[in-house]
Amino acid sequence: MAYERYLMKNVGVPNSRSIETYRGGGGYAGAAKALKMKPDEIVELVKKANLRGRGGAGFPAGVKWSFLPPDREITYLCVNADESEPPTFSNRVLMENDPHMLLEGILIAGYATRTTVAYLYMRCEFTELFHIMQKAVDEAYAAGYFGKDILGTGYALDCYIHRGAGAYVCGEETGLIESLEGKRGWPRIKPPFPAVEGAFRKPTVVNNVETLACLPHILTRGLDWWLSLGTEDSKGPHMYCVSGPVNRPGCYEAPLGLSCRELIYGEDFGAGMRDGKKVKAVFPGGLSMGVLRGDMFPKNPTDEVDPNADYDELDCKLDFDDPRRYGLMGLGTAALVVVPEDADIRAVTVNVARFFALESCGQCTQCREGTTWMYKVAERIRDGAGRSFDLDVLAEVTQNMGMMPGLSICGLSDGAAWPIGMLVQKFRGEFERHIGAQAPDAAAQRIREINPAAYELPILGARPMAAEAAATVEK
Amino acid sequence: MPTIIIDGQKIECRAGIPILQAALEAGLNIPHYCYHPGLSVVASCRLCLMEMKMPHPQTRELEWAPKLFPSCQTMVREGLEVRFNSELVRQNQKRVMEYYLLNHPLDCPVCDKAGECYLQDYTEHFGEPISRMVEDKHKNPKKDIGPRTLLYSDRCVLCGRCVRFAQEIAATAELAVTNRGSYNEIDVFPGRPLDNKLQGNVVDLCPVGALVSKDFLFKQRVWFLQDARSVCPGCSRGCTVHVDQNENRVYRLRPRFNEKVNEWWMCDDGRFGFNYVHREDRLNQPRIRRGTEWTPARWEELPEILRFRFEHAAKADDGAAVAAVLSPMMSCEEAWLLARFIRDVAPQAALVLGPIPVEGEDEIFPKGSAGVPPASGFVVKAERCPNRRGIERVIEHFGGATLTFGDFAAQAGEGKFKAAYVVGGYPNEWVTKDCAKALAKVEFLVVHDLFASPPDATATVQIPSASWAEREGSFMNCDGLLQPFERAIMPLEGVKADGQFLYELCGQRGLFRAARVREALATAVPKLGEVHIPQEEPEYAH
Amino acid sequence: MSWQTIDRKTVAEDKLGPALSEAVKAKIRTFFDRFPTKRAAMLPALHIAQDAIGYVSLQAMHGIAELLEVSPAAVMDVATFYTHFWMHPKGEKVIVVCRSLTCELMGGKTLLEHIKEKLGIGEHETTPDGKYSLMTEECLAQCDHGPCMLINEKLHKCVRPEDLGRILADPDNDKLDIPRSDLFDAPLEKPEES
Repeated sequence: MAYERYLMKNVGVPNSRSIETYRGGGGYAGAAKALKMKPDEIVELVKKANLRGRGGAGFPAGVKWSFLPPDREITYLCVNADESEPPTFSNRVLMENDPHMLLEGILIAGYATRTTVAYLYMRCEFTELFHIMQKAVDEAYAAGYFGKDILGTGYALDCYIHRGAGAYVCGEETGLIESLEGKRGWPRIKPPFPAVEGAFRKPTVVNNVETLACLPHILTRGLDWWLSLGTEDSKGPHMYCVSGPVNRPGCYEAPLGLSCRELIYGEDFGAGMRDGKKVKAVFPGGLSMGVLRGDMFPKNPTDEVDPNADYDELDCKLDFDDPRRYGLMGLGTAALVVVPEDADIRAVTVNVARFFALESCGQCTQCREGTTWMYKVAERIRDGAGRSFDLDVLAEVTQNMGMMPGLSICGLSDGAAWPIGMLVQKFRGEFERHIGAQAPDAAAQRIREINPAAYELPILGARPMAAEAAATVEK
Repeated sequence: MPTIIIDGQKIECRAGIPILQAALEAGLNIPHYCYHPGLSVVASCRLCLMEMKMPHPQTRELEWAPKLFPSCQTMVREGLEVRFNSELVRQNQKRVMEYYLLNHPLDCPVCDKAGECYLQDYTEHFGEPISRMVEDKHKNPKKDIGPRTLLYSDRCVLCGRCVRFAQEIAATAELAVTNRGSYNEIDVFPGRPLDNKLQGNVVDLCPVGALVSKDFLFKQRVWFLQDARSVCPGCSRGCTVHVDQNENRVYRLRPRFNEKVNEWWMCDDGRFGFNYVHREDRLNQPRIRRGTEWTPARWEELPEILRFRFEHAAKADDGAAVAAVLSPMMSCEEAWLLARFIRDVAPQAALVLGPIPVEGEDEIFPKGSAGVPPASGFVVKAERCPNRRGIERVIEHFGGATLTFGDFAAQAGEGKFKAAYVVGGYPNEWVTKDCAKALAKVEFLVVHDLFASPPDATATVQIPSASWAEREGSFMNCDGLLQPFERAIMPLEGVKADGQFLYELCGQRGLFRAARVREALATAVPKLGEVHIPQEEPEYAH
Repeated sequence: MSWQTIDRKTVAEDKLGPALSEAVKAKIRTFFDRFPTKRAAMLPALHIAQDAIGYVSLQAMHGIAELLEVSPAAVMDVATFYTHFWMHPKGEKVIVVCRSLTCELMGGKTLLEHIKEKLGIGEHETTPDGKYSLMTEECLAQCDHGPCMLINEKLHKCVRPEDLGRILADPDNDKLDIPRSDLFDAPLEKPEES
């Protein structure tokens, strides 16, 4: 069933990037309405709408805005267009087709938070997009939507585009702030929170592109419309991304709460797998959130979800709460990538582990060393020299990282631990089968090749600890 | 003074410090790398994590929160309850120590830091004996980052202390972190080496053997070293130091925490400026000139000879033709003993403050902050002697005839003085040729010095001095703080410590104990004031 | 590898690379009024420097450090953190191949192998004629058109190994067909005759 498009209403419309087209379709009316209200009223409105952040964490935007100290003089708004989470591309689609919707959202959010300067932090790989957005910003300035005395209200807002340079960790809010300040993108410790002490030590709000793009709609279409879409705790429309070997990969808009099966097989969405293959695994919220088993596995005979049982999990609904029942960390970016039944799960694990190992910023010990260790272990497993013991090691390492247990400064480590932990847990059978198919001493051979002295020095042979160390090689 | 509860124990601590600092001050061994009380908090090593009791979000009852908190980041608050002795915390410590060892080279046999290494110590206390790492290790190169420091990048644990030190304390920012993730390396900009006066401190800060001092490289194993609590004689700042010695050889100096003077730091001039103590050309034999030739003298006969000759010189005019030059390198006790002796035999003798060596200007760190008050910055003083103020106080106490060194030299040149006792003790040359010519006019010249110098040509008595490391006493620094220093090594063979000799010269018998003499000094010269003994650093802080 | 010592105290003249021209410095200065601190102009400065020189040379880092009033080590810190900046000369056109999960599932690995074979270079290397350099990057956010690759600024979607010949032979394979903003470009050295 096709849903009405709000966020994506201008996708496919000719000349949709120009301000004339946008205004012709009712654009900037939301901003005009907002600028007639008081900033605090808008914050209340957004709180009532329960607009949850679309960047991955799902934190309510209105609550975030209300953390700003009331007696502040300078406020910064950072727009997080550093979309680096594989396989998300909804922000890109939005900005490519409808840059002014984002700019209107920036204006409304800026006015609500009394922002003085808004920085649009865009990753440098959005090469074409930068030119599109810069043109749109210039058009907005020319039309009086940025700059001094906007729409005659006396409110002044400057909007600058800031290009990143290829770092996933700069999508984390304090990593973005550090990168904006001209330093390496190492996330900061919290407290102090960005709302109190953020960019340049001033109160700062960091919001995702899609979150801001929702604002004009809340204002023009009204709160009731907004609350009518979505599930209990997850309101509003959402842009889902479907990618992988499906018939129609792309970005689709629908209210929150759609199931994975619908997104993969629905006629209006993924339209089924290419070549009729079955699904082995699905990453429904971007790589960081975790993995679901696909319909290669038997159907669950009951309604109860049991992550330990090897059942098809494609009925998981994509809103902010249901994924947790299946063991996922959360909704994330609601961007699906489908792993077909003939893909090697070991290669998938290596790809995921490599991503986090190379994108880890390197501050926290667990993340820096843990992600690289997992990558090396995963590579060895893929090269046919793995052991059952390695799977246990992987599972344990994933327990020892993360911002949620308080072990790391930012959420990248949770994002690294969760998918690998779940891949090892949910697809253990397949891993064990591959290991079983190896030559019996392939692993021990490889380990001895890497480190010949450590386990074979005759002089250490008699020492109990050396014997114990050698035993770990055999395990 | 808030009270917090750590592992069930009530601990009273200072306000405004993190829990980690409070725990360390209470004597607990909490592992930590990136935290240092003198640097900003980054909470990046994740070793110091603790469990904290927090109000439950719904019931508001206090219970152990399910997540861990960095103890270096959480400030103390009255009644806060935390624990380090729990399953979660110990598990985290074990795992983090395992992570640190994943890529660490097996360098202990060749690493300078062995014996005082916090990777060794923490692995022993908090880590596991077996590593599960069987992959290829990440190997980083060794870098020559400065004239006095080497960086072994493969040993680095990326605590970031050296980088923050260079940015915050020295403000020269030569060190930086490069690359990302586990390819992180500490590095300097090629062509801009680590070269500022405070750079030696990064070697102390480094918890492992990544940053090593070229001066100490491969010289000595630290478990053979014994330390003495001393004061650096390099300048008038009077930074308190540890002198590490083995078998009477000083191998290195390390700063000693001093909340009022140098906090945790010391400058390179003092740190590497002790080598003169072991110079080959140190004087090691008292000599008397009989006729034109030097003849060796015995220490026992010197006090009598000196007393006789000075009394004789003072007979005519009650000592107006006698002078004593008190070097600002002497300790207060020694200066007082010498002044007492001279005024005893020659009541009108002139007491002269020796020449003050000055090198350049005061250098203030952090760089670029000219008006920084001394309490919050580090100053390398231009005045290169440790005890000018102490000597001034002593001379002031005695009153009477006092001269500046310039006037003394002028008057000596005119032949005014018949006898003079000149104390040197400077590490560098301190007598100009003109000054030597002036001193040549003194009939009976006693030179008490470390090295040979121009006045020796015409001196009658030459007494070898002991260096500061071989003496005990106290120095008064530029802010008027009187700081005691211990003897680190025995005096060079053939040399008697200055204090001991001057003690005997004054007619005292027995062993010279600086503390005893200081007591007498304190009553006699109240202006010297109380000694300042800095607080001891907590045992497990580093 | 502590059997190798790298000397950081001195650097050979020929390793310094080109310096920033006055025009480039002037362009970097125009970014100062966007931010409350000079240091925040670091990323724009590095982008412009790389566009002007081709890579971020040591001399360029010196120049940026002087302009922004930070130490050269701080500039090196930032430049090495990000994958976009090259520390050694690169070719005219940089091919950035996506290596993330979706593109790999859609045949990205085979594409990469083909490019390496065709051009004869590995990652972070440049062809002998200086035309193409190769690097891989994580998700370029074009997952609906995998496997994808960037050549300089232009994105090539759904690239199959058989398309490579045509793409690499096309001299305009890095030209965009939309109006461009030159905000992060190196300034033209000579003023335009209007």
